[in-house]
This record gives sequence, C-alpha cells and structure tokens, in this order.
Amino acid sequence: MRFLFVDRILHLSPATFVRGIKHVTRDDPYLGHDEQGRLCFIPSLVGEALGQLAAWNVMFSNDFTLRPVAGIASCAKPYRPVYVGETILLESFIDNLDESVVQYHSVASVGNDVVFTLDGALGPLLPMEDFIDVAVVRRQFAEINRPVDDTFNPKESHASSEMLLSEDVRPAPPMAFDRILSSEPGVYLCAEKHITRAAPYFPDHFPNKPVLPMTVLLECKLHLAREFLARAGFSKSYQLRELRKIKMKEFVYPGDVVISHLSVKQHDDEMLILSYRSEVDGRRVCVLDVVMTAEGN
Amino acid sequence: MNIDSVYPKVREIIADVLVIGEEEVSLERRLIADLGAESIDFLDLVFQLEKEFGIKIPRGQLEKNARGDLTQDEFEKGGVLTAAGMAALKSYLCEVPADSFKANMKVNEIPMLFTVETFCKLIIAALSEQTTLETVA
Repeated sequence: MRFLFVDRILHLSPATFVRGIKHVTRDDPYLGHDEQGRLCFIPSLVGEALGQLAAWNVMFSNDFTLRPVAGIASCAKPYRPVYVGETILLESFIDNLDESVVQYHSVASVGNDVVFTLDGALGPLLPMEDFIDVAVVRRQFAEINRPVDDTFNPKESHASSEMLLSEDVRPAPPMAFDRILSSEPGVYLCAEKHITRAAPYFPDHFPNKPVLPMTVLLECKLHLAREFLARAGFSKSYQLRELRKIKMKEFVYPGDVVISHLSVKQHDDEMLILSYRSEVDGRRVCVLDVVMTAEGN
Repeated sequence: MNIDSVYPKVREIIADVLVIGEEEVSLERRLIADLGAESIDFLDLVFQLEKEFGIKIPRGQLEKNARGDLTQDEFEKGGVLTAAGMAALKSYLCEVPADSFKANMKVNEIPMLFTVETFCKLIIAALSEQTTLETVA
C-alpha cells in the first residue's frame, strides 16, 4: 500500500506554487466511510496529499538535497469528504523557503467545492538521504511530474451517479488507538497506540527512516474524538470544524507506544474544543486542538 | 517601545506555543532549560511573533544581532565562539546571567541562553528597524 498521494503534478513554479491532482478511486487502499456509510478517502490524508505536494515543490527547488517533514500547522479544515470517483485538485502556495524551513498554505478542491484547507504550515527541512535515497525520490518525482497547459481542467472530473462500485470494495481498517486507558465521560480520555513496523505506510514514510506520518496520528485523534463524544452523552451533537495549533515535536518510530490525553478546553452551547497531548516515554511528541461546533450552528 | 509594552503579548504567545500556563512564563526564564522549548517550538514562536507584531524575523537574526559588527570569522571559528565573539554575545544578551556563558561555547548552543526577555528585545529591534525603514521610504 503506497503512501504517496499526488498522482500527477500539473504545474510547478519552484519555491512558489505547485498544483497537482489525486484521483480517489476504488483502487485506493485508504478508503473509509463517511457518516452516511458512503466510501470516501480518509479525510486526514487529503491533508497528507497537500503536504506531499508542497514537499515535491520544496525538494525540486533544492535539487533533492533536503526534504521537509511535518512540523506545525496553525489550522487544518476538512470541509467535506471526498468520494470514490472524485478528483481532488491540490494546490500548495510556498510562502517562505530557506535552507532550514518551508512555510506554506494549501487548498484542496473538487469541482467548485473546497474540501480541505491547510494554513500556517511550517516544515523543517532535513537531509534527504536520512529518509530516502536521492535516486529513488528523483524517480518518484519524474513519474508524477507531467505538466499540462492551462487548458487542462480537472474541475470537470466529478463523482457520478453512474459509478460502478462493486460490493468487494473494502474500506481500510480505521486509523485508531488500540485501547482506552482511562476515561471520565465528557471531561477526559486517555488512549494508547502501539506503533508497529507492519503498518502499511512505513515503506514510503520513509524507506531509510520509518516514522509515523503526522496525518495518521491526526486521523487516530479524530477517531478518538468520536469515541469521546459517544461516551460524553452531551445533549447536543457536535461536528468537526477544524484542527488547530497542530505541532509534531518529535518523530514517532515503530516500536514506540503513543499515549494520548484528550481533555476539554472549552465547552458551551455552540462550541466544543478538545485539547490533545501525545507522549512517547513521557516525552511530548504531538499537540493540537480539535474544534467542533454544535449541529445547526 | 520597551520591554514592558511587548512582554504581555510575548508571554501569552510563549505560553500558547509551549502549551504551558502563563504563570510559568517570566522575563528571566530560559526557553529551553526552564520552559522545555525544542527546536520546532522556536520555529513556531517566531512564526507567531511575526504574525502578532507584523514583523519579519529572519532565521538566525538573534545570532546576527549578537555578532554586531564582527565578521563571521571574528565571531566564531569552527563553530566555537572566539573570545571576541563571546564578549559580543555577553554584551548583546546582557539579560542572561554571566554564569550561563560557558567556555568554548559552540554557536549551536547559543539558543540555550535565550530567555523570554531575549525575545522581547528581538521584537523591539525588529519593530524599530521597520519604523526606520518606513520613515526612510
């Protein structure tokens, strides 16, 4: 199962801008179900695709000597699921790039719908060879870098009611924590995840240094938010709006055990903000807030 | 523009970036040793300060400020601060206790010295430089 999500780069202006596409098809290994049970691309991985697109620009710009890794994002907003049969137009705008860090923001859309935005992303740049052989990453880039002229319009690619979806399309197992360690309904939740080398994303992320993709951890945390809400028994239903102040402070490696603490930062009739802190061996590895609003607001 | 005028906002941002209580932040506290900051936090902090104060803080600006008129070679040799470099650093980071500066200090160890006040000074310098540029323009 590849963990490379940009199918094609349509336009690349070094250190400035990059546009690409990702087709979501029944061949995708990372499919899940939306709330209505419809097959869709795992939401956090749209953010992964945007990050990878920005990374292609950065790596091309520095002649594949350095690669960005996930660091910080001030805000990630999933607007709606992307369904099988739809094509995501990915666009990343490089706001600043030097030899140590890239700063960018990104938008993913399907047709006229914005489906995901990523703002205030900061990625430290690290030596390429630590993560992947330069020849390999160059080959991967050559495979997908197929620019088109401006007449190409991926916005015309849509899911259609005529899609042929056979019953044997199976969603991926949910990206989730292994077990709940402690719970105080409506107040606090603590969960644990063992990181195994057998996970399908490690061969690509990365061949020379397998580390847990931040977006996988984010998806696990969104799953944990649903578990928290199910246990909380709040009188109102809440809907995910955005992930804020995301920060990956350290790499998580196969063999690590991630402990995540979820607590309520703010709760009122209109809004619920959950604060997450994840640790490995007592070291803080990832923090973020998940913002939800009451249904109907 | 002085430390007192920027400190409340800097304190709030540092607490937010490091996910700690504002009461844990005070002017003399060192970001790494006392408040647990890591390299990614410095990136985040600079980004947040730039946004809040509408300034640009180029990477390595603190070291550049400390170096003053010294050339790179006069400031450090093989990554280790020269005597002149150490004197310039001590003079620039006058808010840092003298016993924090150890002999044969490496350039990449300089961030260990940074306190909350260091960042307040950095912002004041950036704001004043910006004002000067606007006046010239």
